[in-house]
Amino acid sequence: MINFEEELKRFQPIPEVSQAEDAIYSNDLKDISDIVFQVTEEMKTANENAAGRYAGRVRR
Amino acid sequence: MATKRPVLCPNCGAHIKKNGYCSSCHMPLPVLKKAFNTSDYYYNIGYDRAVARDLSGAIDSLNISLRYNKKNIMSRNLLGLVYYEMGEIVNALSQWVMSVNYQPSGNLASKYLKELRQDPTLLANVDQIAQKYNQALNYAKSEDFDLAIIQLKSVLSSNPHFVKGYLLLALLYINSDNYERARTTLRRVLKIDKANTLAIHYLHEMGDTDENIIEMSKESVENDGLLDEEEAITLSTTGAKSDNKIKLFFGDLIEKYKAKAVSRGEYGEISFAKYSGIYVLLGMVLGIFILYFIVVPAQKRKIINEKDELIKSYSEELADKNATINSLTNEIADLNVELEAALNPEEDVQNPLPDYSGVENGMSDEDLQNLINNE
Repeated sequence: MINFEEELKRFQPIPEVSQAEDAIYSNDLKDISDIVFQVTEEMKTANENAAGRYAGRVRR
Repeated sequence: MATKRPVLCPNCGAHIKKNGYCSSCHMPLPVLKKAFNTSDYYYNIGYDRAVARDLSGAIDSLNISLRYNKKNIMSRNLLGLVYYEMGEIVNALSQWVMSVNYQPSGNLASKYLKELRQDPTLLANVDQIAQKYNQALNYAKSEDFDLAIIQLKSVLSSNPHFVKGYLLLALLYINSDNYERARTTLRRVLKIDKANTLAIHYLHEMGDTDENIIEMSKESVENDGLLDEEEAITLSTTGAKSDNKIKLFFGDLIEKYKAKAVSRGEYGEISFAKYSGIYVLLGMVLGIFILYFIVVPAQKRKIINEKDELIKSYSEELADKNATINSLTNEIADLNVELEAALNPEEDVQNPLPDYSGVENGMSDEDLQNLINNE
């Protein structure tokens, strides 16, 4: 049986024209290339940090 | 020997290094290629679903496609179109704006946006529809169900493709145990979006089988009476709560509907029979007017023209006859002269000699001269 209250929760207000800008920003999702770029950047930063930490040490 | 074309990064357009990474954004090319191919794959699925009018399915596929490649212009434009078809204009606009942002030239979304911009009333209507829908949702949440239904009907009259509006309306009908109305509403949803999961879920809950649902989606929705203004008036006059605000709202609404609709039944039927005499009289007057001012002058003109033609032809004939008579008269005169000449062949008859009977003593000089002349 349909639970009216529960079903009603599915319905959300729709954006008005004045809120279109917000809708555009909220639609700006991350795709695979964003994620890969982010991962690459993180790895690069991590490498740089690691390089900084071991700077000056003599490798055996 | 053909030169090798440089491989460009599909993400930023920079050169790809020999190790397969972009020289600018350092992205691995195989990963990007795989992602872009998958995006196209989901675009194709979304396109097929949209063609088959499974719009909610198409939205799912196109969203997945954009997860793989947010700059997939085809996916974004199609997603905008699907939103537009489902009456969610603001979402459609946002997709197209983003599409144009990613690819400003040679983009179909520019055409869509231009068309929307050319109709300034459209955006105002869209705004009004969104406000009304949100208001209806608030009414529903605050259990003002009749008000919510009326508001939703108003929304759906302005935008008959607004799927969310139909779904909320169906839910409200189900809540008020008006299952037939709910089915009619959901049938409209299935006409727009064949496989709308929420509509199918509600129909299943109302006891409809899959076969029923398939049959239902094939039925025509024209003249199903769902958005009849008359019913809105009935609801507004009988089911409303005695709240001043509500009364004001209903007053406005009834006035609006009265102005637009031809009322029937208990609201007083307009009898056109009593005006039939006036219509007949008007028709006759109009007929006489046409007869005297258009038909009769034309006939007169035609008769006068025919008469003129006749006179002209008779005049020509008369002139011919006169000419003939004249020539024959001349001929008669000539013949008479010839006849007389034939009867008196001697020319002397015409010119007799002078009378010499009185001459006694020879001829005078004058007579002699006359004689010579006559000779």
